[in-house]
Amino acid sequence: MIELAGLSKIFRTELVETHALRDISISVNEGEFVALTGPSGSGKSTLLNVLGTLESFEQGDYLLDGKSVKGLSDRELSTLRNEKIGFIFQGFNLIKDYSLFDNIELPLRYRGFKPAERKRRVEHALETVGLAARRDYHPSQLSGGQQQRVAIARAIAGSPRVLLADEPTGNLDSLMARQVMELLDQINRDGCTILMVTHDPDQARRASRQIQIIDGQLSDAVLYDPLAVA
Amino acid sequence: MEQLQYYFKISLISIKRAPLPYLLTVLILSLGLGMFFANATFYYRLNSDPLPQKSDKLFFPMMLLVPGDCDSGCEPPPVLSYSNVQKLGSSGIPTAQAAMYSSDSYVRLDSKQQPLPVRLRLTQRDFFQLFDVPVLAGSIWPDNSARYEVVIGKQLAEKLYGTADVVGKSLLVDDRHFTISAVINPWQMLPRLYDANNGSHISETEQLFMPLETAYDLNYMSATMSRTMDNTDYRQLATQGRTGALHQLQFWVQLDTPAQQKAYKDFMLQLAQSEQAAGRHPVHINNQLPALRDIVRYFGRESGDVKAYALVTLLFLVVCVFNASHLSLNRYISNQYEFSLRRALGASRWQLQQQLLVDVVVLTCITLVFALLIGAASIQLMNYLWPFNRLFASWDLSLLSALLLLSLCCSYLVTLYPSLRASFGALNQQLKE
Repeated sequence: MIELAGLSKIFRTELVETHALRDISISVNEGEFVALTGPSGSGKSTLLNVLGTLESFEQGDYLLDGKSVKGLSDRELSTLRNEKIGFIFQGFNLIKDYSLFDNIELPLRYRGFKPAERKRRVEHALETVGLAARRDYHPSQLSGGQQQRVAIARAIAGSPRVLLADEPTGNLDSLMARQVMELLDQINRDGCTILMVTHDPDQARRASRQIQIIDGQLSDAVLYDPLAVA
Repeated sequence: MEQLQYYFKISLISIKRAPLPYLLTVLILSLGLGMFFANATFYYRLNSDPLPQKSDKLFFPMMLLVPGDCDSGCEPPPVLSYSNVQKLGSSGIPTAQAAMYSSDSYVRLDSKQQPLPVRLRLTQRDFFQLFDVPVLAGSIWPDNSARYEVVIGKQLAEKLYGTADVVGKSLLVDDRHFTISAVINPWQMLPRLYDANNGSHISETEQLFMPLETAYDLNYMSATMSRTMDNTDYRQLATQGRTGALHQLQFWVQLDTPAQQKAYKDFMLQLAQSEQAAGRHPVHINNQLPALRDIVRYFGRESGDVKAYALVTLLFLVVCVFNASHLSLNRYISNQYEFSLRRALGASRWQLQQQLLVDVVVLTCITLVFALLIGAASIQLMNYLWPFNRLFASWDLSLLSALLLLSLCCSYLVTLYPSLRASFGALNQQLKE
């Protein structure tokens, strides 16, 4: 599903060159739940952004569904993000002036779905995250956990192949974090591949595989692999 | 269509999010556009073609047919003597031709009534054909001979008689009895180019027309330009005006085809040569035949003030666009997070640009309303300060369309750079913040 081969990313300023990612090679299969861990500044969020095509890369290759994303035009990358990738951000990134319905509908509009199809998908996504009764609420009327569930609903409404979550529980208390993680588990069980950046070892252990990144490189240490344990 | 409605909705939400900066942007842009538009109205009107269908067919012949040495420059005088007009009028080439000048007079219905001052145009029959003057009732003089008949404007007729049905009625012009032979419909030739040689083209058209020969018989002096090249007494038109070198007549000819125009130029050359040979014209030949559409420029009568104001208001508009653009940039940068989010969720740059084009349309519509209000107020102020400009203070569809186009361009410029900055920003940084 996801193949990274020798991928490198360099941030350049006038004075410094920072190697954010060095020679990353990863393979993620369909339906996997992968946790990306590592200390702050290690490059895990950068890796997630590259996977989400929000950032470009200098060397190596990235294949999504067997197709290289290197050299794709802005339009092709937009289509890729819209159709195959769902994003969940630490800060939720909801538009505060929009209702929950409008927030979730946003990516579906760019996909060109008809109004009826958009409505069906938004309502289904809201049901999935347990907020069907609050479709006309605004984000400010919800708790942090509920807002993150709306963000998840927005991410899954388009039925993406991959869900990229950047510290999805970073701004939540433990109870709400657990609810969000249960939701992600359920989405993963429904067949969606998930890559999640996290600092929390407990949450990382819920993943089927952990990948540790240190100083922009893959760590040799295998932290947890339930399949291997089994 | 549904997507377009959605873009409008987003645009309005974005305005509601920060209404004051938006209002300030609109006001600054409207101020620049309104001031520019007010001046452009005068500029456009003053430079417009009042007879587009024939402005390239009407010509103003001028010849250096003067006795004695010419003054410095040796340019032909902008007015002709009666005898020169007779010579120029003898060609038989033009479709129509008329000599004319203007004078002042008083009119009233009877000797008991208070006299009303009016500007007279003293002219010949073809004047009305040359300048497409619309006749409401009656008939224009059948020839150019002297007669006590006048043509009157509808507005003056209604002012004097209370009705426009005045053909055949008597009118006292400077206490001489005249019969009204025709009434013309309200007519404004703006600018009044047939009087451009005198620099009087920005005043109203006359309301009373008298035969030229009658005017000479009655010693009507020119109210504009009169040059005596010999010892002719300019007050004795009846006895000396037709024979002396008293230059005060404007002369217009209609030459519809290039062949006519060439033939008339040849005729003017032959005339100048024969006059020279006869010793009536000792200086070199200098014939001019400017067309109506070039007449203001030919005589250098373009308004320097209006040009200067046009330049100043244009610069002011540029400053306003820069300021509005700066405000707009701040507004878009504060919304940059949303642009990045939309791109992360799958919007292409082109889809964002579509959204921004709708922003441009919304900004244009709001700005246009404010600009029209400011423009109208500015015109009122200019009319108050320069009342003679009042005639040129009207808008038509082409002017309004030009303002709409200009507003659209300015709104686009104000939105373009900020939107590019916003839609080309680094996605990950914005979303992280």
